[in-house]
Amino acid sequence: MKKVYLAGRGVACALGADLASSLAALRSGGRAATPVAVAEGFSWPVHTLPNEAGSWRERLGRTLRRVVAQSGAPAAPGMPLFVASSSLDVGYEESDHLFTGDVQTFADVVAAAIGWQGPVFTVSTACTSAVNAVLSAADLIRGGEVTQALVLGIEFSNAFTVAGFGGMQLLSQGRARPFGAQRDGLVLGEAVAALWLGAAPARWRIAGGANVVDGSNPTGAEAGAVIAMCRAALCQAGLRPEDIDLVKPQAAGSPANDAIEAAALKQVFGMLPPLVALKQLIGHTLGASGAAELVLLTGCIESGAWPRATHEIDPALELALAEQAPDRLRHVLLNAIGFGGGHAALVLEDGGA
Amino acid sequence: MTFVLEALPGWRVASQVEADPPPLAWRDDLATRLGQRPRRLGLWAELALYGACRCLDTAGERALPAGARVRVASLSGAQSATRASVGQLRSGLPMPFSFMQSQPALMLAALGQALAWQGDASFVVGRDPQALQRLAVQGAGPEGLLLGWVEEEGEALRTRWWRLVPA
Repeated sequence: MKKVYLAGRGVACALGADLASSLAALRSGGRAATPVAVAEGFSWPVHTLPNEAGSWRERLGRTLRRVVAQSGAPAAPGMPLFVASSSLDVGYEESDHLFTGDVQTFADVVAAAIGWQGPVFTVSTACTSAVNAVLSAADLIRGGEVTQALVLGIEFSNAFTVAGFGGMQLLSQGRARPFGAQRDGLVLGEAVAALWLGAAPARWRIAGGANVVDGSNPTGAEAGAVIAMCRAALCQAGLRPEDIDLVKPQAAGSPANDAIEAAALKQVFGMLPPLVALKQLIGHTLGASGAAELVLLTGCIESGAWPRATHEIDPALELALAEQAPDRLRHVLLNAIGFGGGHAALVLEDGGA
Repeated sequence: MTFVLEALPGWRVASQVEADPPPLAWRDDLATRLGQRPRRLGLWAELALYGACRCLDTAGERALPAGARVRVASLSGAQSATRASVGQLRSGLPMPFSFMQSQPALMLAALGQALAWQGDASFVVGRDPQALQRLAVQGAGPEGLLLGWVEEEGEALRTRWWRLVPA
């Protein structure tokens, strides 16, 4: 069975239009979210992408081409493209368009924008979309069906998602505080991230992963599913809990879900490994989050930048967010938990460690 | 698009259901199967549940094995709910009522509940049904998979499911 490596990566998020500028902004503490109005008198802060001129599709196309160019991924014949998104093209549709397309239309537009020649798939499982796309791409590479694949996590500007989450009272009017004492909800974010995966050895290996859907709580985390997800991901990677040196939890700042995830992680690990959170800096980028946070986290580890959290951590959770990268850092667990009972994780191995 | 299951080397079809269209009383049948009418689900998700439950019943399985995976494809998806929600937003309603129904992931959660199952479920779409089938089986374990194609195109409803196990 072939191994799967991260051959290249790219990102545009609220911190910056590429990885280097995002890491620079991260070092300086990040940027405040921008209010997004969904109706008269209703607005929530969102970590939006940098403002650009042009129509929705023009902006999307430019951002995609820049992010894919960062990753270095070629548009090789037969190479599959996985478009991972929760909102797809609803931002385009909500501006007076008439839904003439279907679920795959967004991926078609994305593929055309980057001149893609190979098969194109859409993976839409809410906040776990990008992790599930990586798992699907990894299946193809491990099985020898293909030697490389491109995963694009995309959450682009729209009011619909903000209104939907706002309507369910899941959003903070302030800022995201992962595991925070005053955490009061999510702050959404926009991002486009590229993961070029391949069978050729590179520094980062996708050592394992798992996806566990649990229907008992369709809008949030379920402790049993978090535990099953972590154990299955570790099992696929051939690792034990004590082999994990760093965990990037979901930790979106949700009062209930953060507590459920923290308790479940303690059951898996006993003594928790160092934890790192990113959503206080880029928001919850939903379907793109697995890709965007993987790019940022690996970039942080390689560059020495570190996403410090400045908010007070909830003492009841009895945990801490790491203030710097752990001295020993070879294996990272990256979690994504979302709407629809989705719990998905990746295990990354740093071959450069 | 017609979704025809191609021969997949190493796999056999343990059961299949093709409701195209489903019978008139399919929602009543689903309520009977579940013991209650589904709550907070859109029509598309209910259609998925109906086909998946029938396929599992046809296979003679009381519940989907924990190690099996579920893959659902659809070009229509829950777009009718998305359109309704966007329409609500355009009309000035700040909180679109159909937002939850617009999320395909909610259908996956409902499937988990209906099938008394927790495991690897995903909504994956593409224009090439054969490529989707090959992707679905790649990496699937010895307990196989439940593969569904569900379409809600206005009045036209289709739900097709296959229980695939290693040959």
